[in-house]
Amino acid sequence: MTQTKDLIAQGSDHRTEKKILIIDDDEHLLLGLTARLKANGYAVVWASDAVAAISVARKEVPDLVILDLGLPAGDGFSVLERMRTLADLASVPVIVLSARDPADNKKRALEAGAAAYFQKPPDNHEFLMAIRRALGETVALSTFLKT
Amino acid sequence: MIPETSGRLDAGAGLPPAMSTRSPSPFSLAGENGVLELSATMREDLLDLDAWGEVLKTYGRTMRVAVALTDTGGLLLGKCHNPQPVWSLVRGAASDWGAACPFCITKHLPCAAVADAVRTSAVATVHDQAGLTHVAVPLTLGKQTLGAIIAGQVFDRFPEQLLLRRVARDFGISAQELWEVAKKERPVASALLQASGDLLGALGHAFLQQRHGAILEKKLAETNDRFRWLAEGVRDYALFTTDTTGSVTSWNVGAERMLGYAQAEIVGRNFSCILSPEDVHGRLTENQLSKALQTGRAEYEGWSVRRTQGQFWANVNITALSNEAGPIQGFAIIMQDMTERKKIAIVLEEAQRERARLQEKFLSHVSHELRTPLTAIYFFTTNVLDGVFGDLNPEQRKHLTFALDNVGQLKVMVSDLLDITRVETHKLALAHQPTSLVKVTAEVLSTCRTNAAAKNIDIRSDVAPNLHFVWADPARVRQILTNLIDNGIKFTPDGGTITVKSQVFAEDHDFVCVSVSDSGCGISADNCKIIFDRLAQVKGSGEVSRSGLGLGLFISKELVSRLGGRIWLDSHPGHGSTFYFTLPAFSLAKYCSHIFSAANLDAGSVTLIAVDVVEVKRGAQADILREIRQILERCIDAGQEVLLPATGDEWPIVTFFIVACTDAKGLAVIANRILRDLQCFDKTSQLKPSISSTTLQVAHGQSREEQIHDVTVRIESSVQEHLLGKERIK
Repeated sequence: MTQTKDLIAQGSDHRTEKKILIIDDDEHLLLGLTARLKANGYAVVWASDAVAAISVARKEVPDLVILDLGLPAGDGFSVLERMRTLADLASVPVIVLSARDPADNKKRALEAGAAAYFQKPPDNHEFLMAIRRALGETVALSTFLKT
Repeated sequence: MIPETSGRLDAGAGLPPAMSTRSPSPFSLAGENGVLELSATMREDLLDLDAWGEVLKTYGRTMRVAVALTDTGGLLLGKCHNPQPVWSLVRGAASDWGAACPFCITKHLPCAAVADAVRTSAVATVHDQAGLTHVAVPLTLGKQTLGAIIAGQVFDRFPEQLLLRRVARDFGISAQELWEVAKKERPVASALLQASGDLLGALGHAFLQQRHGAILEKKLAETNDRFRWLAEGVRDYALFTTDTTGSVTSWNVGAERMLGYAQAEIVGRNFSCILSPEDVHGRLTENQLSKALQTGRAEYEGWSVRRTQGQFWANVNITALSNEAGPIQGFAIIMQDMTERKKIAIVLEEAQRERARLQEKFLSHVSHELRTPLTAIYFFTTNVLDGVFGDLNPEQRKHLTFALDNVGQLKVMVSDLLDITRVETHKLALAHQPTSLVKVTAEVLSTCRTNAAAKNIDIRSDVAPNLHFVWADPARVRQILTNLIDNGIKFTPDGGTITVKSQVFAEDHDFVCVSVSDSGCGISADNCKIIFDRLAQVKGSGEVSRSGLGLGLFISKELVSRLGGRIWLDSHPGHGSTFYFTLPAFSLAKYCSHIFSAANLDAGSVTLIAVDVVEVKRGAQADILREIRQILERCIDAGQEVLLPATGDEWPIVTFFIVACTDAKGLAVIANRILRDLQCFDKTSQLKPSISSTTLQVAHGQSREEQIHDVTVRIESSVQEHLLGKERIK
């Protein structure tokens, strides 16, 4: 139940704040996830539809994007594909976080360049691990050893 | 004038039961087993008065005796032929002859001639009051008596005036007149009378037998006519016969109408011309004919072809034709056009698929819609619980933990909903790979332990050492095991124990058996039967039944069966339950069989090559691993080396294993090629490939099977060793 407690404890301390863009149209998800990411030492910006997503991404140039697939004004895949064509965003890692069935969407998302695919609701621990990996952060190897 | 006494054949006048057991009369059709219980109509036909009339009349005239037919009770059937003068005179005067013997002139003793003849199956002779004599002969067919013939009304000695006078008085006729008639009669010697009775018996039986034959023949002809009429007249069924080779021998109107061939053009041709080419090619009909040869009949459905090449869906019924116990003469084939029904079936199937599709769409939508608010609740709850907004007091923490438990349950239910539709639409995707039960069990236990700890339940794991990998989808095995363990936790009281065991399946060594035992309340025999059914919820399980949709075990059963194993349970109320499931063992020996040739094994050694790569940091990991596999496949020689299938996500270092039957020089060549090609692919040098190898000696003096077994066991343990070593590096 409290598997993320240790992560929060080792939290933000000395890291330079990395910026994460969450693209999702669910306001409550944005609130909840933002609180968790901030507690882990990340800066967070939001976008709530596919069009705003690109403009916010270009303006903010985040270190990582958390992307929902079901979005107003186009879907997550269109955002992912558009990002890959833009020089300033092409190498920004994207983690898909969607309610959609991974059986139908995971392969397509990974092929379109997503670093990972999580179905909602994700496990906090695994989700943060994936974020760290995607950001290329060094993590003590012992963290990955499952006991 | 002589009043004719006539009687009707009484169909109800059956034989006394004792009759059937008596020995046959000299005239019965002894030994003729073919005669079964005769029907009333058959009896009536056999004793047809018109047919008998001529025979009896001729006999009576020739022998100068009166003759008549009676039923088994002695009642006259038809009339008395060739009545004799004395009898005629008395009979003519008698107003009341009664039910006594039709021949006896008596007012005192009833004649028992017929009864005697029937009882003894022999000729019975009687004298009446007037001194006249007659004989009764039984008529039998097989073991059944149909009636009797009486003949006589003659004196066997000179008439006695005294007797006749008494008769005249009894019957109220003139004694003088009677005597005048009687004295003209010439007596017949009793020996002659006896002989004539025997003759009559023989004659009667010969006639009866002939008549029986004639009736049967007539009936057979009628049946044949009826059958021909039926076969030819049936228009909705194609009805035809073939010889043993399938060549058509007869063809009815229905066949003509259904298949378009006239009888003249198809008789003599093989009936394969009306079968669809696929069926002819697939030997469907040949198989069905040989089935009919063996079992007498066969039935199937398939496409048939009309003369116009149009096809229709036919139900085909084949019956082998044979004489009793004789060899098969050919086949009778009945075909029915089922195209309409087939069309309906197709539409129905389509509708069912559509329904399943809509249901899946609906459930997938529901599942999706439920996940969004569930995620928000999950984040809010865990954020507060993990202290993001400050410390909690113990009561707050307890309540939030309960909230999180419920989120977890909802999450499982939402996943089950989607799985169930996938099971029903056969869309459950499986990714088979050699799967380590050690690893899967460890993973599952690490997630289940939290739930178990909450109830203070001890989970023990016991995996047999050096257990084979199973050929399965690890994600699905995890799901099955999680379902079973969660189930165990649910039904086990606080402080109980759950044991997970994996070992080679004792009944079939090609399978691995996993068992999950709990120390819970156990399951009654009734519940054991339904527990794997959809939406099954064990009755009397009280409050715990709330958590879950009752789909877990149903899904587990479907998953196990899709993975090629089976699932069952062993439970006694009060003594806990054990769930078992089997999965096919991954056989390295089979996977590598093509390189374990005699020549390769005789070379003396087999090498396991391990290629480790550091997993790349970003991008599509699955893609990269797939490309690396392709590169490695290109580097090896399929006749000497095999790339083993992936054993799953081993991040951060992924190992590819190659089994090689190559000498040291060959190994160096492969290693160099792999390194060169990977460097070519990995220009930014993130993969950091490294190659290691273990060479295993093949023991001499063993059988080929023993050698292969020995080598594969050692390869497996080397693989495990390598993976363990990597764990240590991590």
